This record gives sequence, structure tokens and C-alpha cells, in this order.
Amino acid sequence: MFKNALRSLLLILWLLPSGLLLSPPALAQQVAVEEFKLDNGMRFLLVPRRDQPNVVSAGWVARVGSVNERPGITGISHFFEHMMFKGTDTIGTRDADRDAKYRAEQKAVRDEINRIVWTKQYERLKRGEIADAWDPANDTQELRVLRGRLDALIRAQQGRGEGGAEAATIVKDEFDQVYTKAGGSGMNAFTSHDLTCYFITVPANKLELWAWMESDRLNNSVFREFYSERDVVHEERRLRTDSTPTGRFQEQFDAMFWESCGYAWPVIGWPSDLNSYTFDQAMDYWNIYYRPGNLFGIVVGDFDPVAAKAFITRYFSRLDPGTKPAPPVVTLEVDQIAEQRMNAEGDVPPAVEVRYHTVPAGHVDSYPLDMLSELLNERTGRLYTGMVEGRAIAGSARTASDTRKFAGLFSFEAETRGDATPEQLEKAWYEELAKLQAEEVPERELRKVKNRVAAGNYRRLENNMSLLIQLAFFEQLLDWQEINEGPKKYEAVTAADIKRVANRYFSPANRSVAVYRRATVENK
Amino acid sequence: MNMRVLAILLAIGVTGLVLFAPRSGARSEPPAAAKPAAAATAAAPKTTPSVPAGGTATATAATGIPARPEQIVFAPLAFEPPDASTFRRTLTDGTVVYLAPSREFPLVNLVVTFKGGASLDPADVPGLASMTARMVREGGTVTMGSAALDESLDFLATDVGVAANETFTAATMNCLKSNFDESLKLFLDMLRTPAFEPQRLETARARVLESLKQRNDDASSILSREWKRLVYGTDHFEASEPTDRTVAAISRDRLAEMHRRIFHPGNMIVSVSGDFDEKEMLGKLEKAFSGWERGGPVADPVAPTAVLQPGLYHVPKEIPQGKVVMGSRAITRDDPDAIPFLLLNEILGAGGFTSRLMQQVRSNEGLAYSVRSSLTPRVFYPGDFRAGFESKNSTVALAAKIVMEQIAKMRNELVTDDELETAKASLIETFPRQFESRPQMLRVFVNDEWTKRPKDYWKTFRDKVRSVTREDLKRVAQKHLDPEKMAILVVGDWENIASGDLEKRASMNDFFGGKVKHLPLRDPLTLEPLPEQAEK
Repeated sequence: MFKNALRSLLLILWLLPSGLLLSPPALAQQVAVEEFKLDNGMRFLLVPRRDQPNVVSAGWVARVGSVNERPGITGISHFFEHMMFKGTDTIGTRDADRDAKYRAEQKAVRDEINRIVWTKQYERLKRGEIADAWDPANDTQELRVLRGRLDALIRAQQGRGEGGAEAATIVKDEFDQVYTKAGGSGMNAFTSHDLTCYFITVPANKLELWAWMESDRLNNSVFREFYSERDVVHEERRLRTDSTPTGRFQEQFDAMFWESCGYAWPVIGWPSDLNSYTFDQAMDYWNIYYRPGNLFGIVVGDFDPVAAKAFITRYFSRLDPGTKPAPPVVTLEVDQIAEQRMNAEGDVPPAVEVRYHTVPAGHVDSYPLDMLSELLNERTGRLYTGMVEGRAIAGSARTASDTRKFAGLFSFEAETRGDATPEQLEKAWYEELAKLQAEEVPERELRKVKNRVAAGNYRRLENNMSLLIQLAFFEQLLDWQEINEGPKKYEAVTAADIKRVANRYFSPANRSVAVYRRATVENK
Repeated sequence: MNMRVLAILLAIGVTGLVLFAPRSGARSEPPAAAKPAAAATAAAPKTTPSVPAGGTATATAATGIPARPEQIVFAPLAFEPPDASTFRRTLTDGTVVYLAPSREFPLVNLVVTFKGGASLDPADVPGLASMTARMVREGGTVTMGSAALDESLDFLATDVGVAANETFTAATMNCLKSNFDESLKLFLDMLRTPAFEPQRLETARARVLESLKQRNDDASSILSREWKRLVYGTDHFEASEPTDRTVAAISRDRLAEMHRRIFHPGNMIVSVSGDFDEKEMLGKLEKAFSGWERGGPVADPVAPTAVLQPGLYHVPKEIPQGKVVMGSRAITRDDPDAIPFLLLNEILGAGGFTSRLMQQVRSNEGLAYSVRSSLTPRVFYPGDFRAGFESKNSTVALAAKIVMEQIAKMRNELVTDDELETAKASLIETFPRQFESRPQMLRVFVNDEWTKRPKDYWKTFRDKVRSVTREDLKRVAQKHLDPEKMAILVVGDWENIASGDLEKRASMNDFFGGKVKHLPLRDPLTLEPLPEQAEK
């Protein structure tokens, strides 16, 4: 199950619930990390642990996510995550030279298709002649021919077209096969707003294989199947966004909530951009963000750090540092100055979400904001006792403090119970807030939450992969040391701090409200 | 409710071939194992293409990096599966306890597993066992009110969960070592003398009702529900689900009665991992369980009587992507064909990117993001085999056709040597993960004891995997995977799905002569068919 559970998340954009980030170990033992840096700039964090023998979890992070994108290439970070499994000149092909030829021909045809769609089809769309510029059903004769050529090239490369199996240059999914045969499990990757992470668990004696495979794909990925893979991403988008009850609503709410910064577009990207990435844009992205100075590796589990350091150095030193450093993210979120509201109707329970702009990870106020959220959640938290049990108006209610690399948000979400309305839930939330703004939290209540956070700090260190992913986020958002330092900061939060942040961030002008109602047959 | 239960079940029963499959239908998981690495890597795998001509090999030789991964020499990794008897103890009243201490974290994890879950639900109240488990957790005890109990546990930072799945009920407690005695007292109080407070029951009832209302919101929950109805029949606990009426019918008396049947020492196995001293722990458990009256034995789950009617089925839902499941009942967990079937399933659709379905449907054709096959392991009656995917409306038929072709191919042709070797290597090399952590290992032991798994199962597992032949797989496919006897279930927008793709490579007429049985969407509260006009 563990294997399949991870596989079912395959290549996903995996947005961690922010709750996972917010309870670093208050009293937990220190996580002993050995840190080193190669001459080409790539850093590594090693955490040897013997308690779970025989296995090692290993991964690496590219310090890039959707926040580094711009209109026109939204979703390209996530698309890279897919491309990275498509092989190199060594893995994934039986003839690197002929394969490169196929890719060059495909590029030429696809660039031409894009040029025609962006000009002629977009023009027809604007005039109302067609409803979808990218739908092959609306192709002109010229496009049909080009698309046929591209398809023929793709099929030939796969050995399913002209020339039959002989013409094939691809060895399908060889990257996965090599790992599978060696006992790799849970091979996966995820893309978030702030980072992209690639990881796997291997038998303890196979860590060197990981170093080989990962340094090979970082050294010489060729973006094989660059054009056919976007059909897969479109299906992923349909699955996660378009076919879920709230997927599109959440996308719209995000776009409304974030006004100027790069969190406004979805990690998976806008559909038109998904169709539009060019190979050249991908190469630019690669040369900037997938260079060793912008990467770090993490290894957690049963291994000898001295030997590991030696072969990691040998393998990853082959990466070329490149010439272009990653540009800084410069566009900051502007202050919100008026309340925003969205009314949504669909196959959804009546519900409300209220969001506020807060602070990025590591900000001095992020700790009391996290503790404030903890006070409200869980079985004995104020929301459950107040709204679910007490007033009996909510089926469920929760808050989350989501502090990202460049900005943060705080959200309250609740679903109705019985005949209650979303408006009642919204009003009840403002009343809870008013209490937090007027009175300091009693000492015992705060102690209870701190105890819970402290115990959680041990619990979340038990699993190798979970520790790896926490280190990935801490290191990218702040510094891996936060896994040891954070707990003290949470322990130090006072009732006065919580009251202060409750007054500082939760103003009407700083909030955005989404109200959900179930669509009825009559108003459909 | 479902998500919460699911999360707990995932936390208590995630071993592979367990009977503890969460209600939503987790997939069977092949176990895995480290064959000594020397053997695994002695020969380069046969699929491996030769080293590309040109500079790659020589260029990297200078850095001491092998040209291909197969050239790396790995140290051997010996692994023998742990023996359950090493960890098994018995209390004076006969209660079986598995103990696996570890000092890494100052935490103690205690799990009490009871036989019986939905399998014990009376016909008129599906969901009763599940609600009983929930109310044991939520409803307070005769000595302490629910609110005070929750506050105490929360202040101690002790996590407690009680949940039932199809055939088992499990209660878990995770606490700081320093709070163990106090936590255990509260936990046992909860298990032994729950109060089922009326107000808590009303809250739970209301929350379940809210979750029932959402049963049609996501198409995948419609798919899962209707599939179980087709495969197991609505009179069986695999497929029967609560409605507004059955939720209303749950009374404190019925909860108490179910509690008496499930929660007693004659019906439980205890396991403890974490930071403790073994002798001390046995003494504490002995004391905590003393005086707890033993009830009667709990019956094994009954087998479903329904027979799957092969054919093409459809449930309406307006979404831009059709969701599809196809399959039939297959084998029991301990069937002699189980291990060949496991390998067959790996090669067909459970083996991630390396599997045929993934390569054909996703990688080659780009028709789906996710495509997979699975076996539901069941001990007392055959579980189901199923393949499934999601694809845009126009390519549902094409993807379904390819999946069916791949299933047929397993029957008609031998798999390649290389495919079989890869699947075997994967199961063998990942085998130690079955026992990766102590809680995980104890789950395996408890499950094996409850389900009477043959004692040498894990010891001989890798040899059994090694001995499977290509002919075995073909035989198993011919015996258990017959496209003619399968059902195909589609949830989606039929009007746009039926006609198939633009290039006319497939349409839904390619299946069962295009004869489709349109199943109604059901009222989410009553599960009665909704009038058709509700859908366009």
C-alpha cells in the first residue's frame, strides 16, 4: 500500500496542507543533519538514521515553483516535473543521435503549429468563428497537415508508426524500469508554488544508484516526448481541477485573492499556456533553475555518511554550474484595500471560506499566527466546540495558516449543518475572531496547544520520507535549521502575541470571502 | 465521516496484502524484498539497450562514473523477515500481545484490533459498526463526560482513534512515554465503558448526514459506490451504505449492543511499539485489562451471493472527463494463484510507469493521467480485480479499448522474460519494506494472526515469487481475467462519450455490441433512483 499510495500521487503537484508545516518540534530532539556543498554549488543534507534498517529515502529540490513563472509560461515548473522522467541521452533511448533528430523535427513542426494558432486561430476565436483555438476539431487544413506530421513523428519515435518497431528510438519509461528492478519504491515528485521536489525510497545498498540516476538526469535531460506529454498534463488538469466539485472555484478564488504576486496562477498552469510552451522556453528555464547552485539534495535513512558523501561528490560534481544565476522574485503582493467576495454555485455543500493576507514563512508573526490556528482547530478547539457542537451550525470547520516563501495567508473554512446558511457561519467566524481580538487566550488553553504541538514534533520525525519532505520545505522557505529552531519559537509565543496578531491581520478590508451554495435543478 | 475514517484506517492498516483495505477500496499492494544485491545486479537487465555509441561511455570513464547504472556494483543486503513469535506474548487471561520496543522517540503507540466491522452490521442498519467505533471515541464514558475526556487527552497531547472497516475495528493510542499511564487509563475507560452520550450522538448523526449529502458531488465517489453495488450486491456489507433512514435508526441501545459484541478481550489482539520496557508494559496491560468480561466469539464475514452481470453500464454526471472501471470478481487472498496473479497485476497495471497500461494509455497515447489495475485482497471470499482510468469524453472509448486489449493480451500471449524478471525483482527487492517500521511490522503480525495466514508465508514469499513462470501468468489470466465476463462502468456525460474519438479509432459501440445499461443517479440521502429529468 505504501508504494501504491505514493504512486497514486504520481508526478503530482502536491500542495502540502499548511498544517504540516506549522508544528515544528517544541521539545523534540534535534535532527542531526550533516551538510556539505560541492564546488559547483549544489548542497546536500544527510540524515543517517538506523532505526529503520534496510531503506534510504533520497531526494533533491529545485528552488523553483509556479511563483517563478510569468503569464505565458504558467505551469511550466510542473511540466518540468513531468519532463524529468523522460530520460537522457543514456536512459530512455536506444539511439541518442537518431532520437535527437526526431526531437528536432518535432520542434520545428510544433513551433509552426504554435505560430499559426497564436495568430490565425486566436484571431478566429476573437471574431467568434470558433470556440476553442487549440481544439483540433477547429483546425484549418494547414494545421491538420502539421498536426498529422507531428503525430507521425511521435509515433515513429515510439516505434508505433512509419518504419515500425525498427524506427523506434525510445525505450519507454526506462527511468522507472531501472529503479523498479533495483527495488526502488514510491518514486515520485511534486511541484508547489515555491519548490519542485523529486524523491524515492531505495534499498539501503542502492543509494549509489540514486546518485547515478539523479545526477544523470540533471546532467543531461533531453525533454523527450515534450509535445505528447502535454496531453497527459491536460488530463491531469481535467482530473484535479475541471472534474472536481470545487477545482475551478478554488482556482478563481486564488486568482482573485492574490493581486500582484506569482501565487495568483495555478501550479498546473492555465490551459492556453499548457499548450503554448516552446522548447526554447523550456531550455531557458532549465539553464536558469536546474543548475546546481539552485538545487539541493537530501538523504534520510540507513546509510554510511562517509561513503555516501564520497560518491555523491563524485556523481553530482559532473553538473555544469551554468552561467545564469536564478533571478530574484521581485513582484511583491500589494496591500488589499477593500473586501472581495465570490459567490459560487455547484455540486458542493453550502460552505464559506474567509481568507486574509498575512506574512511569509519565518516572519516573526508567523509563529503566533500558527498557534492561533492551532487554538481554533481539533476536537477541543474553539471552532469544533463553538460551531460544530455548541451552536450546531457547522458540519465541519477549520483554519489554516499558510505561510509561503514570499507571502502568506490565513483561511477559515466551514461547511454548513442542517438548515444553517453560509452567512451564519461567516458571522460566527467574525464573533470567534472578536473574542480573540478582545481577550487574551487563557493560560491553560495555550499550554494545551503547545503540548500538542510539542508531541507532534516527535511524531512527524518518525518517518524517513516525511522528514525528507519537511527538510525540503524548511530549507527552501527558510533554512533547514528551522526544524530544530522553530520549536523554541512556538514555545515562546505568548497570549499577548496571539492577541496582537489577531488585531493586526484580520480586518474587513484585508479579507476575501467565498460563499458556496449547492446548485439546484431549477437554477442550473 | 469517510475521510476521517479513511485516514485512520490508512494509519492502522496499510500493509500490503492485508485484509484491512479501507472502505473506499484501497488497492492490494505487492510486498517487496531484498534479495541479496549481488544476485540482483550480476547481470545487466535484458531490456537495457547497449551503451550508446559516441562519447558517453568514454567521457564519463574519466570521472569514475560508470556509463550505465547496471555497471554499479552494490554491496549485498541480506534480509530475513522477522518472526512473529519473537514478539508475541500472552497475558494470563489469554489476550495476545505483540511488543516491539524502540528508543528512538519518547512515544508509545498502542493498537487494539478487534475482529468484526461492517461485516457485523445488521441488514437494516448499515454503518452501525462504524458509528459504534466513532461513538466509543466521541461519546464519553460512564465515569467521565465527553468534553472532559477530550480535554484531558488533548492536554496530554495523546492521540486516540477508533474506527471500523469492513471486517475489523481498531482502536489506537499514541502518547508521550511520560503520559502513558494516565493515557492508558483514559483509553481503556473509553473502550470498556463508553457512555454514548445523546448529544454527541446527535452531533455525529448530523455530521454523517452532511457527508451523505455530498455523495454525488465528486464523480469518483459515484463510481466507487456503483461498482461495489454491481460486484458485491447491495445486500452485502461491501456495498451496502447508510441512508438518511438508517442513520436515524441508530439508537444508543443498538450502539451498546454492537459494542458488547466487538469490544472485549475474547475478541482482541494488542500491539505496542515505541519507548517502553517489555516486562513493565506486560504488567501494565495485565492490570488494565483485568476484570474485563470476555464475550463470545465473532463470526467470520459472510461471502456475497450476488453474481456480476457482465455488460456496459453508465451513470450520468456532467463532467469533462469520463471515469471508468472495468473488471470482475477474482480470487481470495490465500488462493494458490495469488502470487502469480500479483505478478500479473504488476505487469499489467499496478507497476507504475513500468506497467503495460501506463505505457500504452498514458505514455504512448496521452489519454489519461492515471491508469491502473488492482486486486482487492479478501480472505473469506474472492475480492475483485479492476482496471480504471479517467479520460476526456472523446477518448474514453479509445482508452477502454486499449485496456481491454491489454487484458486480452495477458490471456493470449506470454509476457516477456524481461517483464517477468522486472516484476519479480521489484517484489523481491522491496520486500523488506513490509517490515520497515515497528508499527508496520506489528500490523502485519496482527493481521496474519487474525486471518490465519500460513505461518511460513513471509519466509517463503520470495522463493514463491522466484518460481513463477510466464506460463503460470498466462494460465492465471485465462482462468481469472475474462473480458467477456467483466463489467465496464462509466460515470460521465454519455452523449459526448458514446461516439468516441475524432479519428474514429473507437466508440462505445465496440463493447457488448453497444448495448448499454443506463443506471440512475441516486438520491444522495436515500440512495433511491433520482428521476431522469434531474439530469438534463
